[in-house]
Amino acid sequence: MNSDDELAERLRDGDDKALRMVYDRHGAAVLYLAQRLLGNRADAEDVTQVTFVAAWTGRDSYDPQRGTMLGWLLGIARRKAVDRMRTAARDERVAETVRAQLAPPDERETPERVVDRLVVADEMDRLPEEQRRTLELAFFDDLTHPQIAAVTGLPLGTVKSHIRRGMANLRRRWEVDGATFGSRSAGRTRAL
Amino acid sequence: MQHLDPDRLVVLALSEEPGPSESDHLDDCPGCRGDLATLRDVADLGAEGQDLRGLPTPPEHVWQAIEAEIAPDVARAAAPAGVTELAGHRARPRRPRPRWLTPLLAAAAAAVVAVAGTVAVDRIAGRAPVEQVEARATLTPLATVPADASGSVRVLSGGRMQIDVRNLPLTTGFHEVWLIDPDDLSKMVALGNLADQPDVLLPVPPGTDLNRYRLVDVSDEPHDGDATHSGRSLLRGTLTS
Repeated sequence: MNSDDELAERLRDGDDKALRMVYDRHGAAVLYLAQRLLGNRADAEDVTQVTFVAAWTGRDSYDPQRGTMLGWLLGIARRKAVDRMRTAARDERVAETVRAQLAPPDERETPERVVDRLVVADEMDRLPEEQRRTLELAFFDDLTHPQIAAVTGLPLGTVKSHIRRGMANLRRRWEVDGATFGSRSAGRTRAL
Repeated sequence: MQHLDPDRLVVLALSEEPGPSESDHLDDCPGCRGDLATLRDVADLGAEGQDLRGLPTPPEHVWQAIEAEIAPDVARAAAPAGVTELAGHRARPRRPRPRWLTPLLAAAAAAVVAVAGTVAVDRIAGRAPVEQVEARATLTPLATVPADASGSVRVLSGGRMQIDVRNLPLTTGFHEVWLIDPDDLSKMVALGNLADQPDVLLPVPPGTDLNRYRLVDVSDEPHDGDATHSGRSLLRGTLTS
């Protein structure tokens, strides 16, 4: 599996096959974000397209030292989706009142929250297998440490250390790439 | 002050409620309170990630559209002697034009534009609005251009090209439209300028091979009386039928 560093280098060299690899790896997350934000499939696909074209055009601005490829792409996608929402709002001012009544703003999901969730999920996928498995049992199945030890057959001390390390990894990644922490990540690609 | 053990904070974030002495400590200690809040956020985000497993990949047509849009740039990157070198191409010594000839050429060019313009208008006015699109292109900004700049091109039957641009950077000169041969980027046809209008119809010279000159390029041209490409491309896109 190619690292973000390698892909970034190949992109900078103008290798479109590297863009395809990035797309295969992260296209689904970008589409998901766009769909959550825009609520319709056609717009979401458009934003996905625009995002990857912008990533290609602005490939020199991606710095692997400052965040992952996914974090960078989601930052672009978020801005493109927000642009799209603004345009839609301009076009449909008439319908605005009606829509506001249908969907109170506080019930809508914030773009930052969706980005954070995608970033954390991506980090989960990168964890060592046992770490990921114990965290999944804690997150998805609400099991306590001793229950996880019983289910997996791992010693309790091992479960504890997997979970502590796993949480630390997720936290670090969230602080680097997440949108809530992300004034840093939002700033660096604003030009896109 | 005895801080809470990191393992214990993780347990509190995931499953258990703090005991009385732990609650007291959390009330007093912003550090542990902050850590616990962050760990809880991480745990919530992690739990929400259950829905994100096996997200559907985007349909292939999305990739095809991306590929089509980046194609001109890919071609350029792959051919370093190409249009990147437009500026260089321009800088190459050219046979000096006799000074007296320049106004004549300009006048001749103006006459050609005027005739072409009239022809285009006649064609539009004289024909029923049967809009048969023979080729189209989506124009995307080059790296140095603000990303909200965009454009679309439709080649209509009868040798007319409709070009619609948005958010082009301001210029002290003018915006010129070109058709370029991506296989030999020094070969190009100038179609005319955009005259500060978002939507312009330009005549394509009869006999132009659009399979060869398929790269549509919008450039920023200074008023320097030099009819060649300035090397400052703003938008590009490839015609497809």
